[in-house]
Amino acid sequence: MAKSPKKSKSRLWFLVHSWLALPIWFFVLIVCFTGMLAVVSQEIVWLANPDVRASKPDADAERLSFQQVLDAMHKADPDMVVESLRQPDGSHFALTADVTLPDGTSPTLYVNPYTGAIQGKSPDFNFEGFTRALHGWWLVPFTNGFSWGWYLVSILGLPMLASLVTGLVVYKKFWKGFFKPVRTGHGSRIFWGDLHRLAGVWSIWFIAVISITGTWFLIQAILFDNHITISSRPIVPVIAREDVPQTPDGSPAPRIDLDEAARIAGLAIPGLEISFVSLPSTAYSHVSMGGRGWYPLMFQSADVNPYTRNVDSQFLLSDRSTLEFVTESMRPLHTGDFGGLPIKLIWFFFGLVLTLMVFSGLLIWTKRTAQATAAALKRSERTPRAARAQTSLETQP
Amino acid sequence: MSHAQAVPASPLKQWWLKWRFHLNILLILVPLGFMPKYFNDAKLFRGDAGLGANVITGIQAGPYTLDLAELRDEAPRQDGPAGNFKSFNAALCKACINDVKAVYLRIGKPRSLRAAGTIFFGAPYRMGTNLPIPPRTKPDAQIWITLEGWDGSMHQASVPLAKASPATVAWLEKQGGKK
Repeated sequence: MAKSPKKSKSRLWFLVHSWLALPIWFFVLIVCFTGMLAVVSQEIVWLANPDVRASKPDADAERLSFQQVLDAMHKADPDMVVESLRQPDGSHFALTADVTLPDGTSPTLYVNPYTGAIQGKSPDFNFEGFTRALHGWWLVPFTNGFSWGWYLVSILGLPMLASLVTGLVVYKKFWKGFFKPVRTGHGSRIFWGDLHRLAGVWSIWFIAVISITGTWFLIQAILFDNHITISSRPIVPVIAREDVPQTPDGSPAPRIDLDEAARIAGLAIPGLEISFVSLPSTAYSHVSMGGRGWYPLMFQSADVNPYTRNVDSQFLLSDRSTLEFVTESMRPLHTGDFGGLPIKLIWFFFGLVLTLMVFSGLLIWTKRTAQATAAALKRSERTPRAARAQTSLETQP
Repeated sequence: MSHAQAVPASPLKQWWLKWRFHLNILLILVPLGFMPKYFNDAKLFRGDAGLGANVITGIQAGPYTLDLAELRDEAPRQDGPAGNFKSFNAALCKACINDVKAVYLRIGKPRSLRAAGTIFFGAPYRMGTNLPIPPRTKPDAQIWITLEGWDGSMHQASVPLAKASPATVAWLEKQGGKK
């Protein structure tokens, strides 16, 4: 059928589009599916586990400060060492506290932000961590630099980008396809084809975002593994020996409390939102705290010296280079974790659509491309016997 | 162009056409195979699997005692140009937690508190550090633990590297000829 050069070129594009993900279609499907789950994994846990919810004891209860929460936790268990406190995005989530107990175990605790009550302990199976690990690096452990599973998943950004481009090239006048109804009653090939195109045009922006940010993850790993850094994040030196007081009686030197540290950081950096606090991990470490700035895709942080009360180090939006604004935005754009529940639900929905597109693409392929290829092979094969053998292979998904 | 899909009968191509979809099975086997390791690691980092491997308990340093263990029973890991590192965990005795300001780890005896080695991070119940292992370390080396008190006092203890991490010593012996 292809006679004019233009036609045959578009046919080639079509073949490229049809074959892009095929030998690994099931892998691509699972990556899309787990990515979709990972977007809302926090919400799934919230639904499944009441410990994770920030329930108000009464209507006019006020949120406690970080120090008040810490005090309440120490009152409940004086031997517990609290390492960090974090308010997840969304006031319906309980605070999470990373702690270490005297038996040496380090669970994450869910703490009520209004009462400071320890509501529960993270279960042994961490659903959020698991879906993210499966989606992000296919569970391949990190031993020396990035895991090869990370490369395996992130390289999919390239064929995904290619299928977006080739898909748009072969779909003539795709901009007219936004409201084309899906035809039912013409057989499943027509149905899945219509659905694939309709889902495709509505997902153009999403596929572009996911594939470009996914490719960034690949670039990030390549840069890291070759020891190239583009970060302007300051390396925080430990507190100098002379700044940490010695005590004649051998008791720990007094440090400022978390609220004082937050107040000092807030004075030094107007507009610093604090959603997480890390307590000093050695006698020579800072209290680190930070949160989102006016640009919701990036975090600002400050390190307060608990002995001298100085802000020894800070990393603000204004400290970032233009390049960092782009590269640091990549991760939140990929995960949809920058605008609360509405953005997450949009990402989840289009993640579902994308999963469906991989699936419908496969169905169309088995119904059409395999037959077309088999037919083409039949014509071009020299011996009929070989062609028959080929046909049976091609149709095997 | 229209013959782009014509199949040359090369054995490699035949093999690819026959087996390409089995790539899916291989790829699905990857996370299945790594799943036990993933859960074991999660357990290890949560501290549910104890302090680590080759635990040495009750090391006396002055008035204090502590337990030392390597995170994993394996050779040092390379961290790019920074060299090779070995992760160790330690737990301080419950009674000395308030007195001890910092704990350090070093291969060979430190000359002063300022050169005491790498500092242990985290809660005294299970703290960790990354000890650099120079490839020319002697297999009979001692690792030295230095405890610094809030009053400025210093207490030391040492254990043979061969006892704390047999895998590191095996690695050093293998390195011996090369570096």
